[in-house]
Amino acid sequence: MTGNSGNGGNSSGIRVASLDDIPEGEGIAISSKITGTEDDIAILRDDDGTCWALNDTCTHETASLAEGWVEDGDVECPLHSSRFNLKTGKVDGLPATVDTVPHRVEVRDGEIYLFPGERP
Amino acid sequence: MTVSSVVVVGGGIAGVSTVAELRKNGYAGELTLLTVDPFPYDRPPLSKDYLSGAKDLESIALQAPEWYAEQRIDLVTAASVVALDPDAGTVAISDGRELSADRIVLATGGHSLWPSIERVVREPLDSPAGEGIPRSATGVHTLRSVEDADALRHVLLPGARLLVVGAGLIGAEVASTARKLGSEVVLVDPVDPPIAAAVGAQVAAWLHSLHAVHGVETVTATVEKLESTRAGVVAHIAGQTEPRTFDAVLLAVGMVPDTALAKAAGLEVDNGVVVDDHQVTTHPNVLAVGDCARRRGHRRAEHWEAAVHDGQRAARTILGIDPPAETARWFWTDRYGLHVEVVGKMRSPDADHQTVVRGAVGEPPFSVFTLRGERVIGAVSVDDPNAVRAARRMIDRGVDVRASDLADPGTDLRKLLRGSR
Repeated sequence: MTGNSGNGGNSSGIRVASLDDIPEGEGIAISSKITGTEDDIAILRDDDGTCWALNDTCTHETASLAEGWVEDGDVECPLHSSRFNLKTGKVDGLPATVDTVPHRVEVRDGEIYLFPGERP
Repeated sequence: MTVSSVVVVGGGIAGVSTVAELRKNGYAGELTLLTVDPFPYDRPPLSKDYLSGAKDLESIALQAPEWYAEQRIDLVTAASVVALDPDAGTVAISDGRELSADRIVLATGGHSLWPSIERVVREPLDSPAGEGIPRSATGVHTLRSVEDADALRHVLLPGARLLVVGAGLIGAEVASTARKLGSEVVLVDPVDPPIAAAVGAQVAAWLHSLHAVHGVETVTATVEKLESTRAGVVAHIAGQTEPRTFDAVLLAVGMVPDTALAKAAGLEVDNGVVVDDHQVTTHPNVLAVGDCARRRGHRRAEHWEAAVHDGQRAARTILGIDPPAETARWFWTDRYGLHVEVVGKMRSPDADHQTVVRGAVGEPPFSVFTLRGERVIGAVSVDDPNAVRAARRMIDRGVDVRASDLADPGTDLRKLLRGSR
């Protein structure tokens, strides 16, 4: 699927969901209590089935990207349709102007593992 | 001819989108952005989070301050353009300078429409009296700029009495924000319900009913006269025997495109600077985008995203590359904590159109679709934005759907869409 195949860092990642939990084109938010990061992390499944992870809160206004529309390599914010690149977190469409933070995810045996703070 | 210099007049979303799209597509020439403001900022928050004080000016900047230098954009602030010479390709700025460019893009926006209400200034709220008193001194406001929002926020204190004239998007948003700030609000509009043409009668009626639920007095009437006195603004509302006194009045009845430069330069102006499908005015070296412009054969959109698309289209015209794909018109509005989105055209049910409700109107999240045959032509969502995102793609891609599928909240709209690809 996505991300590096190797085990970057010394952890095997946090198992956050099964692939079946997230329909293509949708996402789920993983609480910062689990990820240990400042923001919650959105696990987003592109319409081609690949999985990506970005900071969950839109950099424009307070909205959860996990509730956004995922398609063609972007997630579109549910509030004002700012678009972020799933792989890089870069802004692909206004009104957001500040890039968001991508995190590495891996899919093994139908389970999604998240590596908070690691670049994809 | 290769274009090697572009001047964009106006730092709203249309102007900023133009310069951003030029650089994004590899334009390497000179690029100047002129704005009358301290820096380009976003206007939708002016009736919402900026007005309420939840956001400050820096946080509504359209781009980070360093972005302009990174993009090699010469941002000239506090500058107004006083004259345009299309043949010479020059603009004269208020500071006395003259800039020349291969292409000039007008993104001058507009100003608030002042309705034909009789207005009398008996005594200004603040001294000194006399000619040229600022509008805020009369207690009568409009809302278009940060300065307007600051003036209005100044008076929206707990218990302040606000009269909002016009219950369209901005009037309704300000009513909502003013209630949050503890002001007393009377909202007057001659049409009941307002914005039915944009969101459909059913949703419009429900949205309008929210005002009363949140303590706003709604009146279906026109305002005949506003008198500014030391005690406040005395409003004569049609059908009411006694005039009523308010601490402030907001006129929110629409906008007028700012076409003065274009008109003086001899460009065709007709309810906006007239442009073709490539945003080019009647002079080949001058383009126009956003609220100041009107595409021939179209109505002005007056929406945020339409201005973005105008800017992208203009940039691509200048670069000689394909325009972005056309897409159904989309906008959002927020009131009383609810997020409303609209795409395409909402129509009343008739022989050709049917209305399909997904969920129940009045019980968010819900959405309402207009179908012509098996084609979605418009949709409105309340706290259900992905329904509108799905509808937009159905409209843009011409997807056939069954009304019964749309109406069933159990149907995954993404699947309906995907089934068609």
